[in-house]
Amino acid sequence: MILQAVADTLPLYRDFPIIGSRGAVWIAAELHLMFAAFVLGVPMFAVVAEAIGIFGKDQRYDRLAKEFTRLLLIAYSATAIWGAVLTFLLATLYPRFWAYLTQIFGASMWVYVSIFFFESFTLYLYYYGWDRWKVGRSKIVHWSLGILLNIWGTLVMFIADSWLTYMMTPPRDITPETATTSIKIWHAIMNHTWMPINIHRLIGNVVFGGAIVGAYASYRFLASTSDEERAHYDWMGYVGNFIAIAALIVLPFAGYWLGREIYQYDQSMGITMMGGFMSWLWVIQAFLIAVLFLAGNYYLWIGMGRIPGAERFRPYTKWLLAVLVIGAIVWGTPHTMIADSRELTAMGGSHHPFLGVLGVMSAKNTAVNLMILATFLSFLMYRRANTRPVVPWAKTGTQIQGAMFAIAAAIVLFYGIRGYFVEAIVRIGYSVYQVGAVLACIVFVTVIDVLLARGAESRGTIQWGKMPPRSQYALFILAVTFTWLMGLMGFARSGIRQHWHVWQVIPDTSPYAATPALGYAAIMISVCVLIFLALVGFIFWLGGLAEKSTFVEAKHVGH
Amino acid sequence: MRHHPFWQSVALLLIAYVLIVFGIPMLPGSALVPKSVVLQYMLTVLVGILIWVSDDEARWTRFKEPLHAVLVESRLKTIRNGLLGALTLMVGCFTYSQVRASVAAPPNLRSIHPAPPSQLTFRGKTISLTGLENPLRAQGDMATHLATGRRVYYQNCMACHGDYLDGQGHYATGFNPIPLNFQDNGTIAQLTESFVFWRIAKGGPGLPREGTPWNSAMPAWESFLTEDEIWAVVLYLYDATRWHPRTWGETEGGGHD
Amino acid sequence: MWAINLRIAAVVLGTLAIYTLIANKIPQVQSEVPRALALGADVTPEQLVSAGDELYNGSGGCTACHGLGTRAPNITSDEKGQGAIGARCGSREPGKDCKAYLHEALTRPGAFVVPGYEPIMPDVSRTLSPQQIWALVAYLESLGGTVTVTAADIPAAGGLTPGASPGNTQSGGGSTAFAGGSTDPMAMLRDGGCVGCHKIGEEGGAVGPDLSRVGARLNAAGIREAILAPDAKISPGFENFAGIMPKNYGEQMTAGQLEALVRFLGGRK
Repeated sequence: MILQAVADTLPLYRDFPIIGSRGAVWIAAELHLMFAAFVLGVPMFAVVAEAIGIFGKDQRYDRLAKEFTRLLLIAYSATAIWGAVLTFLLATLYPRFWAYLTQIFGASMWVYVSIFFFESFTLYLYYYGWDRWKVGRSKIVHWSLGILLNIWGTLVMFIADSWLTYMMTPPRDITPETATTSIKIWHAIMNHTWMPINIHRLIGNVVFGGAIVGAYASYRFLASTSDEERAHYDWMGYVGNFIAIAALIVLPFAGYWLGREIYQYDQSMGITMMGGFMSWLWVIQAFLIAVLFLAGNYYLWIGMGRIPGAERFRPYTKWLLAVLVIGAIVWGTPHTMIADSRELTAMGGSHHPFLGVLGVMSAKNTAVNLMILATFLSFLMYRRANTRPVVPWAKTGTQIQGAMFAIAAAIVLFYGIRGYFVEAIVRIGYSVYQVGAVLACIVFVTVIDVLLARGAESRGTIQWGKMPPRSQYALFILAVTFTWLMGLMGFARSGIRQHWHVWQVIPDTSPYAATPALGYAAIMISVCVLIFLALVGFIFWLGGLAEKSTFVEAKHVGH
Repeated sequence: MRHHPFWQSVALLLIAYVLIVFGIPMLPGSALVPKSVVLQYMLTVLVGILIWVSDDEARWTRFKEPLHAVLVESRLKTIRNGLLGALTLMVGCFTYSQVRASVAAPPNLRSIHPAPPSQLTFRGKTISLTGLENPLRAQGDMATHLATGRRVYYQNCMACHGDYLDGQGHYATGFNPIPLNFQDNGTIAQLTESFVFWRIAKGGPGLPREGTPWNSAMPAWESFLTEDEIWAVVLYLYDATRWHPRTWGETEGGGHD
Repeated sequence: MWAINLRIAAVVLGTLAIYTLIANKIPQVQSEVPRALALGADVTPEQLVSAGDELYNGSGGCTACHGLGTRAPNITSDEKGQGAIGARCGSREPGKDCKAYLHEALTRPGAFVVPGYEPIMPDVSRTLSPQQIWALVAYLESLGGTVTVTAADIPAAGGLTPGASPGNTQSGGGSTAFAGGSTDPMAMLRDGGCVGCHKIGEEGGAVGPDLSRVGARLNAAGIREAILAPDAKISPGFENFAGIMPKNYGEQMTAGQLEALVRFLGGRK
């Protein structure tokens, strides 16, 4: 009751100079989110790398993990700083709304703060204990500290997700008249989109972590002076790129689940997202993902230059490229085209009589699935390039793999074309078959490949470090594109609330209630990405200052 | 010369351009490709070609040879000057074309399926659209409803949407964009019946802001038809085209259409 | 080292620039806040006044008459030394406070005609929603007085449809046709407010072209266009008055009324 009285005396809104309240909160929230994704994604990366180091007896991975944990220390404080800025801005610029949120989620906010506290100390222990707990059982203890770190991080993210998903999809029984005191906190947390967003962000963080690791490695690669350093960072860039692309392939399924939940929660919210004023956002998204696919593959193909034996596969890469380019063209074909009045008359509407066929779901799903298959094939060739299988069934195995690719591609194409002749409801089901075929192909082919590679002979040492600089710029483009894409999808998720703080519960009556157009959003996203990358660059540079000594040390350890 | 990557790239670009600008419109039932799409396709192809020439060290070096030669060799001075002149001229022309005053209406963006409101007011009565099914499916005799729908269609809609519900009515050519073709699998086949009801009841004037500029000439039929007549004509549309309305149970996300 | 840093910066900035450019190149659509929503339960006087201001000077069409100073009282600044409307509305009619007076003046304009002026004002409730009328009242009060309109005065906005324009909710039925749907031309000309500006026979003002012999100048199609799209062609000599004639007659009349009026005017030769 007292809380309520306090809330009522608060001013509704305050303004922020020049960029306005919306802009201020936008930048603070976006940067907080990017750093948070960084400090959640990189520990996952570090723990996996450490595990490979322990169980695979490969010192390189251990060093990689440690190098990243050092960057985490600084990134952690950046996350906390931006979090504080965001809280401060929300509380001062949107006092009434902030009071509403704290009335519902107050308890979880305290839990959040304490977990963040635990997380920080686990991180300090993890990093500073690295050299202390180095061998035997204590190394395992150290590794479990890393796992604990990830558990804290995931919990923190889940709690924060509950606040923003509540704003998007408050439980249906909550109306503008519902007293905040009567809302059970667990009821508010368990809203429609909470779990889908949790999963989507978890995978997204892995992708993001991999991309940032790749960018870091490429920066150090370009700056390195010795061959050994170059070899190390070349390899690190490859690992980062591999993890990012591999996790990216799974990400659309989590996104699909999220989209489905949004549709089921509120049809008009779903249509606003997919077909309403945001429909063009998806064409931009398609463009960005095409850039990701092309840049990722480009990096692999250039990387074949350092692998003895990769010449065998060279002639095939141009056909993979053709598949990717045609896929990008089909995927990017807009359903509703931008055209001037003369072109509109010639086409008889903004829907092209022939290319319009490429602008629908069936074509786009087919294109994406084929692009995923092509990327996977690139990886496979890259993996296979250096080895000569010795198992007796090597030839048959390769033929079976080839057949699996052919079958998967055929299934994708068959359902893609058939999709034009059936109704929407059936067609939606088809995308499941297409995706299933691709996933099954990836799983089975990988299993066969692992078996095939048993005891395989090498065709010569991989010349790590023998990479032209342009491949490293491709990694940069990947990192920038991932970050930008994250900002764009965040805008989509937040923008579909339109003029509501809490969807159909608390209206936004501030001067910034209108949802801006894509152009404005793109400028904001670019500004956020730029600030983020500048800060991350600074962190990398700081990391480099301390790096000098460890590198010499690592040399003695040898590998 | 024939296998030089530089000239191969140039040839590929030209082929792609010819295919997109002249090839696609020649296909049966096709039309010219809008400039924005040509630009998009050509950029994608260009990026693909650049990837192809630079993903192999040897090819990349050979690719750069002619460029390098043109820039430094003294015997190619005429070509160099010519290229520089042409480039300057191109930038000039481009700038001019961008700033020139034009009489054409600016391209506009229109959303095919605007978000419906969650409820609407039909002659003063509030109807909630969320989860709404066609009430006529549950009551009365289907044949009667279809007969009503058929009568309503031929009295009101046929002039624009056509005898075969294909958007080729008598007045169709007078509109830009042309009336909706219900036979196409991209129109009513993608929508729930309540969405179709909303569009008929509120017509062009009732489109939400993000749906504009829509240029829809369709009247708001709520002024002329009763609620049941609209539901009946919705039934008739689906019956005559043999499409099935999208149902509420499985309206999943996905799709950029 | 600096060359590398610069190159990296160029790659990053270039990529960002391309994305930003593409997103800005496509036509921009902003999702606006539905108008009616601004007048919700927690509406502030400032919001009401600004909404009313927009209506008064914009789509409401009020300035067509109020403001020129000849056909209707100048209510925004000074009418014959009496000051703006907000300062004197409370004392205009005994027993009616400012708010009640203004609301009635808007919805029953014939009730209080200022001496010296013709009764030409149309009932604004035909074109504006109740919420919009209250916003207008608030705006008029703010001109020299204090705003007393509160959320309690405003009837709950029925059928608030997020994403739909408020115009949606009131375009039902045929009840908005003026002159009660009558096809009597003179009744339409009077009730539609036409004679406020146009002279026809002995009746009417002189702001717009004289309609007494309009049939000699325009054919039926021309008259129809002049009613439905008043600014499409401006009669010579009336260029300064372009934009004054309301553009929504097409929405206020039934097709029968329009045709009757066109026939009637076409016959005036």
